[in-house]
Parts: sequence; structure tokens; C-alpha cells
Amino acid sequence: MITIRHLKKEYPSSTPLVDVNVEIKKGDVISIIGPSGTGKSTLIRCINMLETPTAGEVIVDGRNLTDGSCDINKVRQKMGMVFQSFNLFNHMTVIENLMAAPVDLMGKTKQEAFDRGMELLKAIGLADKMLSYPDELSGGQKQRAAIARTLAMDPEIILFDEPTSALDPAMKGEVESVIKGLAQKGLTMLIVTHDMRLAREVANRVFYMDQGGIYEDGTPQQIFEHPERELTRRFVSRNFAFEVEIQSRDFDFLGLVTELERFGQSHYLSRRTLNHLQSAFEEMCMQSLIPHFEGDFKMKITVSCLAAKDQVNMEIKYTGGRFDPMNSDDILALKILESVTEKIEYTDLTAEGKSADGPFTNLIHMKIR
Amino acid sequence: MTINKERNNDTLTLAIEGRLDTVTAPELEKVVNEETADIKELVLDMNALEYISSAGLRVLLAAQKKMNKQGSMKLKGVCDAVMEVFEMTGFADILAIE
Repeated sequence: MITIRHLKKEYPSSTPLVDVNVEIKKGDVISIIGPSGTGKSTLIRCINMLETPTAGEVIVDGRNLTDGSCDINKVRQKMGMVFQSFNLFNHMTVIENLMAAPVDLMGKTKQEAFDRGMELLKAIGLADKMLSYPDELSGGQKQRAAIARTLAMDPEIILFDEPTSALDPAMKGEVESVIKGLAQKGLTMLIVTHDMRLAREVANRVFYMDQGGIYEDGTPQQIFEHPERELTRRFVSRNFAFEVEIQSRDFDFLGLVTELERFGQSHYLSRRTLNHLQSAFEEMCMQSLIPHFEGDFKMKITVSCLAAKDQVNMEIKYTGGRFDPMNSDDILALKILESVTEKIEYTDLTAEGKSADGPFTNLIHMKIR
Repeated sequence: MTINKERNNDTLTLAIEGRLDTVTAPELEKVVNEETADIKELVLDMNALEYISSAGLRVLLAAQKKMNKQGSMKLKGVCDAVMEVFEMTGFADILAIE
């Protein structure tokens, strides 16, 4: 469906694409991931000629776009694009946004364009917003409307340029489900994204881009679980951490819960994993450790997760004499802790062969389920 | 957390919204202690309850024990996340969940 040969894109100050060669089959759903500045967006913008390649060929459905005689507008009609910033026409209502291109470019009558537009709006749950202007919609609704507008042209290929990056975590979900729905319909899609969960769940193929091209091309399973090349491995095993110290019984519990929630959402943890993280934090700190402390205490909590995995660890260091909370008699808290974790390990940092970290003498490590 | 109370003859319905955790559970405990003396049925509407911890479970257990003596208690609208905690602690078998 799409063949790319020796594609090069050079800017005055950088060359994001040095030599890209790839074959994309009909029905492929491809996530494009990689560090910033590695040419992910440039690649898809070269596929629909929003950027003119410096050299090389892009062939879509047998037509060579890079050959000067090709009618690019004709090919673009088959190729929709969804942008990070939605790019809706702000002076038009939602339904007018969906009708404009089919009427102007495909020669549809207004009635035909309206009927198809309404059908699409119903399918994505925005029928009641047909007469709203883009400014009256939430970010998630805008992006869904933008996807519907792309679909109104009956494209065979859709290019997504970071479709969820500008959205609040709560709204990412609604856009993700629309994209997942499209993936099952046999459309060919290329999705540039920093959302590793989206990249992993929606695609049948992943491009990891680095060093001027597609550095590794494989199934989500290969790229995220068993990457074959070094830079891919480093990228998918990046670690993110969040650290906080508590030394008062009256600390801002709700504030900390909110921060945990934000941390988890910004690293794309699933709802279920986030719930387990919150349970583990509360049952361990609030129910098991704090009630045990007498007098002054200090706790240091570190939460860490991998970039590409729905998995999180929590480490709690605390002061005082040897105390393993898993020996406590709070059966309810222990049951919850055992259920929401895969593993809980206690270490006495004052034991032989261990070393205390500043004032901290005890360590609990939990792998959240 | 917010609690909305609705009294209908011998039935008290408490709609609990938000989180039932270490910090908020005492509020529910207080309402249960103060408002259930003369009722026969206690209904806990959990449609808007997102999260529960062991502290919340203890309050539910105490309310259940109290209502066993004077009538009955039931829970409705339990979401998946809260149900999961009921299941891991065996509360799913103790409580009447609709």
C-alpha cells in the first residue's frame, strides 16, 4: 500500500530522516515511537507530502508521490490526517466541519455530506454537538470531531500525529477508544505517539525511530518485551520515579493521593494498576506503618514505573527499630496488600551486610499487581 | 467524600460520593452512629463511590453488625474497583450487595 525508498529529509540545521526504507501493507496499524527529534512526525508528513522529501521515493497505491507529475491532491483524498492540535475550522459548526471537504473535493451534495456526517457523529457519540462550534467542545470532543472529519472523506489511510498529546488524561481514553475501533475496521493507520500504552495496544506493528530512520520494526510484543537492538531496549526500559518524604501524622494525605494519581496517569498506568497503587500506599503507610510509629518518624516513599509497561513499584524506607509490617495483626490491611501486590519484601537495613540510608533503618519493597 | 441522606419511613439511604479512606471513613461512621437508631433498613448507594480502603471496610462492617440487630443493610451500585476490594477481603460474602 505504501512503499518508501531511500527517503531523506534534511533541514538547514538537522537531518531527521537519513535513509528510510519500508513497506506498509493494507490494514497495517503502525505505532511510531521514539525519542523527540527522531523524525517521527516528519516521516508521516512526508508520506502525505506536507513536507517535501529531500530525496527518495514515496509510493502510495502505485502512485509515486515524489515524481513531479503526480496529482498529490488526488492521493491525499485517500489519506486523512489527524493532528495533535485538532485543526478544526473554528468558524464552522461541527457538522459543517465534516461536510466541507466531501462537498468541495468529492463533489458530494450537501444532503449526502450531511447524512454521512451525522452517521459518523453518531458513531463517535457527538451527534448532539453537531451545531456546536469547536470552541464549545472539550479537547477530547474536538479530537473525536477531527477524526470524524477525516473519516468523512472515506480515507483508506489515516495518519495520526500525536493524537492524544494535547489532551488531559481523562480525555485521552475517549480518543483512544475511537482509534482502537478504527483499527479493527481494516483501515491502514500510522500513529505517532508518546503514549506507550496506546502504541502497544492498538498496533500490529511498531516502528522505533532513532538515528535517522526506522531503527527497529517489529510487533508490539517484540518491541516492548524483547527488543532486539540496544537503543530500543533503552527507550522502552526508561524508568520514571516519584519521591516524597513524610514526617508528620497530619501530612496532606489527599494531596499525596492526588499526586500519585497524576504521576500514574502521566505515565499511562491503567485504572486498575492505579487503584492497586493507591490501595498499597494507604494500607501500608496509613494503616500499617503510621499507627505503629511512636513519637517522631520519617518515611521516604519512592514510586517508579517503566515507560512502556503498565507496572509500578513502591519502595518505602522508614525510621525506628526493626518492624516488618507484614507481621502485624491488621488482617484486613494485610489481605488488601497481598491482593494488590505481586511481591512484598521487607529488609532490615541495620542487619549485617545491609547499609542504612541516612536515618532510614527499614525498607519495604512492593511490586504492584 | 460527600454523603447525601434520604429518610423514607423506616429506611435510610446514604449516597456516598468520592473516596472512603483513612481520612474520610470517620465521617461515615459518625453518620451511621447518629442517624440509624430508629430505622429498619439501611441502604448504601455506592454509585459515586470510587475507592474504598480497609478503614472504609471497618465502618461498613460495624454498620452491618448494628443493622443485623435492628433490621437489614444493603449496598447498591458498587463499581468494579470497590467490588474488587470486597472480593479480596471476603466482604463480598458478608455484605448484601445488589
